[in-house]
Amino acid sequence: MRFAHYIYNKRTLLITSAFTLTLISAYASATYNPFENSVSTSMTNADALPPIENDKLSLLTPQELSFLRNPTQLKWFGLSEEKVFTQLAMRDAVSVKQYVSEMLAVYNAAKFQPGQDQASAVNNGILEPLSIVADAPEIPLNTDAAGYNKRTIIQPSVFDKYKRSPGPISLKRYVHEQGGIPTFANAPVAIRVEDLTAGMVEVAFVGVPLALGSGWRDSQHAPTVLRGMYGLGGYDIAGGVDPALVLNIADFGNVATAYLSPELNIEHIREQIGEMIKANTVPFIVGGDHSIMYPTVAAMSDNYGASNVSVVHLDAHYNGERGLDHYFSDKQSVSRLLQDKLIMGKHLIQVGLRGPSQDKEALQWLRTQGINYHTMVEVQQSGWDKVVAIAIKQAKTTSKTFISFDMSVLDPAYAPGAGRPVPGGLSILQAQTLVRRLCAETEIIGFEMLDLAPYLDISYKTALNANHIMHACLTGIAMRKSGITKSNHLDPLALSQ
Amino acid sequence: MNVKKLVTSVLAMCAVSTIVISGVQSQIASNVKQVGEKQKDSAESEFVYIPSVAGQVPERIDSATPGLMAAEPLEDIPEDVMAILDSLPSDKGDFIKSGKGEGVVKKDILFELLISASPSEAEGYVDTVMSIYDKMEFKKGRDIEAIALNKSSPDFNSWRLKRPQSMNPDREDGPISLGRYLGGGNSGIPTFANAPVALTAEDLIAGEVDVAILGAPLDMGSGWRDAINGPKAMRMLRRGTGGTDVSTMINPTSVLNIVDYGDVAIDQLSTERSVQEVRSMVREIAETGAIPIIIGGDHSLEYPNVAAIADVYGKGKVSVVHFDAHLDTGRGRVHLLSHGQPIYRLMKEAHVRPENFIQVGLRAHYSKSYYEWEKEIGMKYHTMAEVERRGWDDVMDRVIKEATENTEYLYVSFDVDVLDPAFQPGTGTPVSGGLTMREAIPIVRRLCAETKLVGFDIVELAPALDSSYVSALNANSLMFACMTGIAMHKEEITEKGFISELSSEHGQDDYYGEGR
Repeated sequence: MRFAHYIYNKRTLLITSAFTLTLISAYASATYNPFENSVSTSMTNADALPPIENDKLSLLTPQELSFLRNPTQLKWFGLSEEKVFTQLAMRDAVSVKQYVSEMLAVYNAAKFQPGQDQASAVNNGILEPLSIVADAPEIPLNTDAAGYNKRTIIQPSVFDKYKRSPGPISLKRYVHEQGGIPTFANAPVAIRVEDLTAGMVEVAFVGVPLALGSGWRDSQHAPTVLRGMYGLGGYDIAGGVDPALVLNIADFGNVATAYLSPELNIEHIREQIGEMIKANTVPFIVGGDHSIMYPTVAAMSDNYGASNVSVVHLDAHYNGERGLDHYFSDKQSVSRLLQDKLIMGKHLIQVGLRGPSQDKEALQWLRTQGINYHTMVEVQQSGWDKVVAIAIKQAKTTSKTFISFDMSVLDPAYAPGAGRPVPGGLSILQAQTLVRRLCAETEIIGFEMLDLAPYLDISYKTALNANHIMHACLTGIAMRKSGITKSNHLDPLALSQ
Repeated sequence: MNVKKLVTSVLAMCAVSTIVISGVQSQIASNVKQVGEKQKDSAESEFVYIPSVAGQVPERIDSATPGLMAAEPLEDIPEDVMAILDSLPSDKGDFIKSGKGEGVVKKDILFELLISASPSEAEGYVDTVMSIYDKMEFKKGRDIEAIALNKSSPDFNSWRLKRPQSMNPDREDGPISLGRYLGGGNSGIPTFANAPVALTAEDLIAGEVDVAILGAPLDMGSGWRDAINGPKAMRMLRRGTGGTDVSTMINPTSVLNIVDYGDVAIDQLSTERSVQEVRSMVREIAETGAIPIIIGGDHSLEYPNVAAIADVYGKGKVSVVHFDAHLDTGRGRVHLLSHGQPIYRLMKEAHVRPENFIQVGLRAHYSKSYYEWEKEIGMKYHTMAEVERRGWDDVMDRVIKEATENTEYLYVSFDVDVLDPAFQPGTGTPVSGGLTMREAIPIVRRLCAETKLVGFDIVELAPALDSSYVSALNANSLMFACMTGIAMHKEEITEKGFISELSSEHGQDDYYGEGR
């Protein structure tokens, strides 16, 4: 009896695997798209299946049997074959039929259903525009809103009430003022692009207060908190320079953000960062969540060409999820940049990956895309110095480098105020070293500090560390400007003789 | 404002009103009287109030957009400027005269520029104003009208698909108790009010559930965010929700069948997309006859919550008491809903009549135009200014009176920021000068006891902002106050301001001179 059952299973598998493939190809529009979540076609060895009563499966249709044998579909429910067989063992044929058919029905309902957007939003003669949005393929906006685009329109200086010559304005009253109006690095303020140009600003900080991340959402307060925290000024002992003396730095204020959807922000951020680049500045972007990486890197690519830009992405998260219902979010910045050809996989270097979202499927995908990833496992295995050396070497395959720094790359001991913290991260010293070296040894075209959630840290620690990371990059840029570009340069005065 | 025209339209409206549905006739009659009274001082207040009709969009709902100036033709244009404007091509001169340019640049600044400009420069300035104005307003074909979603996503609907109940072992319908011991006490699993769990409408019906508490972790507020963790914080604190209420000697848990109905699915990237599901889940609870208590989540939720209640109990048949530091009447914004706009949307879609919206605790910094508009459409607001002027007890009595005078049913929406930050630091948009817990507890208990309550929500609890337990404890205590009221109502204790004789008087002497 049991033997016969094995035969049955094997035969079923043969039939169903062919069927599954048909399903899959219909599903993926006949071509394999690496950007959709891959649908595994591998079948578990039938011999590994525990024996079950043959007739328990007798009521199942071929589709239901196929579903039962598909690990990807089972995983969608948090199930494995073993877990399913535990369930089957507890049930009779009727119950098995109900169990499997209801799961399959739910699974099949996951994708957009033809006609699901056909319901009327008019109830009893009254328009209720939101009553059908969950079923709709788009989110309607209120085009009657007064000043629909007002948020992002920049007032030209010609209409200023009080005229002034362009250029950064210092808000300090005293020569040696501490405190006062908080600005990034205590730098003067540039209000419009012409202020950047006139002042020949080399590095301009800009806040992008957008908190729509998948973790704790407080990054919209990061720009304000980092402006109010010290650590962005003064001499760097390792680099042997004071970047504020070497570089023209300005605080370019904040980019306007819409707080109810990431999608409505992409275009304006991309355009504003682009304007900063055209004014010959290196933007230092303070987010905001990691969805901002899409428009910032896009702006780099727009202005320098995707093939000329390496992106060093320091993050616990790979941010490469595919096939989601929304087009933009922190979890999918990397996959969207690749899909839209705004970055080349071989020019993306990820450092610090760890945590459960970096699963086999994710890592396989990174490999398929040619992305150079360096997990914390590798850091532990090879040592930090080696990883730093490889990352810099990989960054150097293009002429320009952009750094996307997510606070979660640091261990929560150093950055409890990260929106998506994961233990087992870099130390502040490790991160400073990599950032300083990248900024000295490659040509930096932009830097972003993302997903800092100030309210998670009742101490000053996260904000101070974030500023010190950015200071490390300023130091590197200043070293490079001063002609110090050799590998791993440390100022001799900082070392004992 | 053309008062005469308005009066005419009011009279026409009244004529129409008299032939509307017989059930609301007495109500309309009283409203007509009100209109008559208001007309007398209309010259002074400039408002003419037109009563709304249940189930119809209020006549004057879009009469004004507070905070935004409508363009009015410029007056007193100096002669020299007028000469310049007249010298321009007529469309350009007319544009400036129309006042539309005020949204781009104030006229004083523009006039100064024009006076000292050459003719071609002057035209250039006007062109700049016009091109900025053109960019500002929505233009079809140029601006997006909707946020596109990825229709080809294999998981387009996944966020709100329900897990088949057949994946669980067979069980009879009814609430699932998570306790193990005969001695009772807490089970280890944190649930709202330590209640058993219900997963389906059938569970609610089989369990004859009176109150189903639903988490709705929508986290898209405009201030500090963490409302996503509001439901979790209230479940995990496990204090403040059990036992006997001292004021009434009522133990809601023993009087009522209470369940934790889990969380409703939320799309954390879109308020608009989430509300259809919230509305459907709240309706699912209300349709069984149970009272939904929704734990947010941000205040956008008031829209789907109350719309669902109106789906079940009738359009315009439910009054709403809205506790909040904020008016939440925002409108005319790019997004159709946010935590600043739920009230407008509820009235705009005729779920609730403006007359039946009662706001309590308002004190955030809204301009006069917001209050003027509320007066005009008949809303009832009670600011902290009124509390300052009249004292809390009088305001409370007035709110309770208003909550019961127009409708049979009441919904209470409680934004925790109505409390002073001393009592509620854990909220996204706190405003100082709010209610104390000793003011909030009795009004909530009384509203839930003395009316036919059909729904209640607690929103905007953001635990990350409070390193102590205080915010979650107070939120739980307010839920307890309402559940006490619901239990009193079930026990038919609806005497106004009922206080237990036993717990409020030891009776060993006649200290208060009321007899022993």
